[in-house]
Amino acid sequence: MDNENKKDDKSINKNDKSEETSYQANSEDNSLSNVQRVKVLSPGMLVIKRFLRNRLAIIGFIIILFMFIFSFIGGFFSPYDETQVFKHIGTMSKEYVSLSLNEQYRYTSSDENIYNSNMHSKFILAKNKGETNFILDDIKYHISEEGKDFYSIFCLEPIAKITYFRNILSVNLHEGIEMPEEINNYIKTAIEQGETYFKYNSKIYVLDKDGRNYILESTQNVAFESLLIMEKATKDIEVTYEFKYFLRKALMDDEVSIFEYNGERYELIRDEYSISVNHIKPDGKEPYALASEFSIKSISQDVFLSIEFKKELIKTIMSGASSFVYPDEHGEDIEYNILRNNNMYTVKKLTNTHLISIHEQPSLKHWLGTDQHGMDVLTRLMYGGKISLVIGFIVVFLETIIGVVMGGIAGYFGKLTDMVIMRIVDVFNCIPFMPLLIIIGSVMDALDIDPKIRIYYLMLILGVMSWPGIARMVRGQILSLREQEFMIAAEATGLRISRRIFKHLIPNVIPQLIVLATLGLGGIIIYESTLSFLGLGVKFPYASWGNIISGVSTAYEMTNFWFVWIPAGMLILLTVLGFNFVGDGLRDAFDPKMKR
Amino acid sequence: MRKYIIKRIAISVVLLFFVSMIIYIIMRSIPTSYVETQARMLSQMPGAKSYADWLAQLNTTYGMDKGILEGFMQWASNAIHGDFGDSWQFNVPVVEKFQSVIWDSFKLGSIAFILQIFIAIPLGILAARKQYSRSDYTITVLALLGISLPAFFFATILKLIFSAWLGWLPLYGKVGRYYELLSGFDQFFDIAIHFILPILTLTIVGVGGLMRYTRTNMLEVLNSDYIRTARAKGLSEKRVVNYHAFRNTLIPIVTILGGTLPGLFAGALITETLFQIPGIGYTGYLAMVSGDIPFTMFYMVFMAFLTLLGTLIADILYAVVDPRVRVS
Repeated sequence: MDNENKKDDKSINKNDKSEETSYQANSEDNSLSNVQRVKVLSPGMLVIKRFLRNRLAIIGFIIILFMFIFSFIGGFFSPYDETQVFKHIGTMSKEYVSLSLNEQYRYTSSDENIYNSNMHSKFILAKNKGETNFILDDIKYHISEEGKDFYSIFCLEPIAKITYFRNILSVNLHEGIEMPEEINNYIKTAIEQGETYFKYNSKIYVLDKDGRNYILESTQNVAFESLLIMEKATKDIEVTYEFKYFLRKALMDDEVSIFEYNGERYELIRDEYSISVNHIKPDGKEPYALASEFSIKSISQDVFLSIEFKKELIKTIMSGASSFVYPDEHGEDIEYNILRNNNMYTVKKLTNTHLISIHEQPSLKHWLGTDQHGMDVLTRLMYGGKISLVIGFIVVFLETIIGVVMGGIAGYFGKLTDMVIMRIVDVFNCIPFMPLLIIIGSVMDALDIDPKIRIYYLMLILGVMSWPGIARMVRGQILSLREQEFMIAAEATGLRISRRIFKHLIPNVIPQLIVLATLGLGGIIIYESTLSFLGLGVKFPYASWGNIISGVSTAYEMTNFWFVWIPAGMLILLTVLGFNFVGDGLRDAFDPKMKR
Repeated sequence: MRKYIIKRIAISVVLLFFVSMIIYIIMRSIPTSYVETQARMLSQMPGAKSYADWLAQLNTTYGMDKGILEGFMQWASNAIHGDFGDSWQFNVPVVEKFQSVIWDSFKLGSIAFILQIFIAIPLGILAARKQYSRSDYTITVLALLGISLPAFFFATILKLIFSAWLGWLPLYGKVGRYYELLSGFDQFFDIAIHFILPILTLTIVGVGGLMRYTRTNMLEVLNSDYIRTARAKGLSEKRVVNYHAFRNTLIPIVTILGGTLPGLFAGALITETLFQIPGIGYTGYLAMVSGDIPFTMFYMVFMAFLTLLGTLIADILYAVVDPRVRVS
């Protein structure tokens, strides 16, 4: 619709002009000395006048002007940075606790050096075979079943050799070991009853058969194996192995509700799935430990779970519910969700965290929303425009310089020089441009080149690859220009060859050069954005109109996040269109022959 | 004439030799670690040869163990015999892969080409006949819009409208999910539906240039003396334009169209990639991005060959179509 008006305006303007001139011709003096009548415009002014008369060219010029202001000045006015990531506080379901029903024996050892997972696996093997001893690294261990799912592990040390023959017992103590006499009675009873161990002085002694003889071994408790898991109630409590062992033993007896250890009194409170231990102090009770068949671990290291929370969690899981509410340290109720995977449970907690505002809808704060990195789209469009335009201009500058020099030399010297240069042009013309750029892009990917240096490489390659068009045009023009009289005059004045080419011939090609360069700018911007779109040009964190569009790939993103890619695409389209309008207008302005 | 053609062909062959040499040098200049990574990756594929075997094969096929010139000679002599090696990405001989994908590209290209001709030439002539009219401006703006449209953006918009919003056409691919279950005609229909958007993209993006070219040439013809003569003779405007002017406009158009004919086999790299149509463009893209040197090498040389063939055809056609331009 705009075009119609433009065209009408134009014809009206034209009519006005002609009426004006005829009016002047009639009213003024017809003599040639009248300056008004023979007002002559310089060729440059004529071009400008013709250019300004072309509506499309003006529109293109305005578009480009807008793009420049938007890209180069817009960045200063935008309150945000190119790579500023926006965050907001939101709730997110985060894994908080993992819990599993313990079905394997776990060991608690007095010292990790004396009893560790090596011995533990030996224990499992021995227990499954029903053996009471096992040997590891020449050290004997004794397993003593203390109760249901509870075994004590003893380290054995031979102390005596025993011969027992026809009720005569002789005990040969090893060197440096002393034993009271009364132990002999215990040994005797044990042997007679076929026992392999006996208790004496609350210490266990083991009788190991060695042929006809026996070896008496003293024992030292090093660990216990149990299905029950005991965990301390608060972070600061130091629970010793001895206490754990004592507690485990105390737990075997269902009747015990209060026990004493090291002069301190402890209370046991049993419920369905767990037993909690309270430390009875003069000023009141204090939670001390929790024993249950569940292994409960918090996902993050710095969280310590309270006994009450654990009990609540176990209760919820055993009741089959999938969520529960428990107050946090500030007294606020927080909902926890439980996910089950076989015997593993994962508890998720809704926590407030800093979330990156990804694909935020347009708002007053972000006029075009945010992209997939949580960056302001409008700001990135500005910086992207800057990169696209700068790349365009530098590349065109580069290709024009190379093209003019090569074309000028070829055109001026002709013959062999011309032949060689034109064949080089042909070769460059044949090398497929886009595939080459893609290859170089993916090689730069493989080499992990810094995104900033990439941009320079990109400019260099685009410039070096696209000069043949300009060289060909320059050469063609110069071939005819050099035969003209002014060149003979230039030669006659004895000017240097370089001066003849670049001062006398090239200026005559400037109009065509300007047109080619303007149209070329659009082409370069398309190449650059296509490459960036494919992820092989300008790379994140640097913005480019192409790589902003590449942020959306699926149909879902396309329809829902239109505010990210449509503006970027429209900017590319408008900029290229602007350059094409201007280039077209310039061509018409420089070469009015095409007008009927 | 025959002498001229032979001379041009000879020059083209020499040019092709140098172009493939340059492409080879570029390929060789790619850091060797890249080839080693490639070999490592290939050796990890199921049922693949060992890393050392792959590396040795890569080095021998490309003469990497030799100097650049020597290596190129080896590649060239193999290539002349039609042996372009095995593709690393597709695990089949390069030529075999090429034969299996080229026809999709050709179909896309030729349909878009025909559509372009039928849109561009009448509109270009219309614009020239009514220069500076309402329709001229509209056509000029449309043509420039087509030229300025980046293929990837236009393709994405088409996808948004026809696939995401309307749901009429598939988002990408050559065949649908149930292609194998369909009967003969339905299979054809399935492929046709998948080809609509790519063809539309190719047509719109390419039509602008031809339209402008037609307009410029028609303007030139309409400004020439013989048209003035025809008008002076008292012929109707219709006959002047459709008979005298049109025939003369066809000369440069036929020339340039002849030049683009080989390009129908070149495939549309960007469009095919965006719509994942398994033509030569998309295959080439996959090969390039994954560092499949044999296929890339073949693809690049093939493209260079098509370009040379195009210029050759254009130049010869120019002499054939226009008797005034017989090259001495």
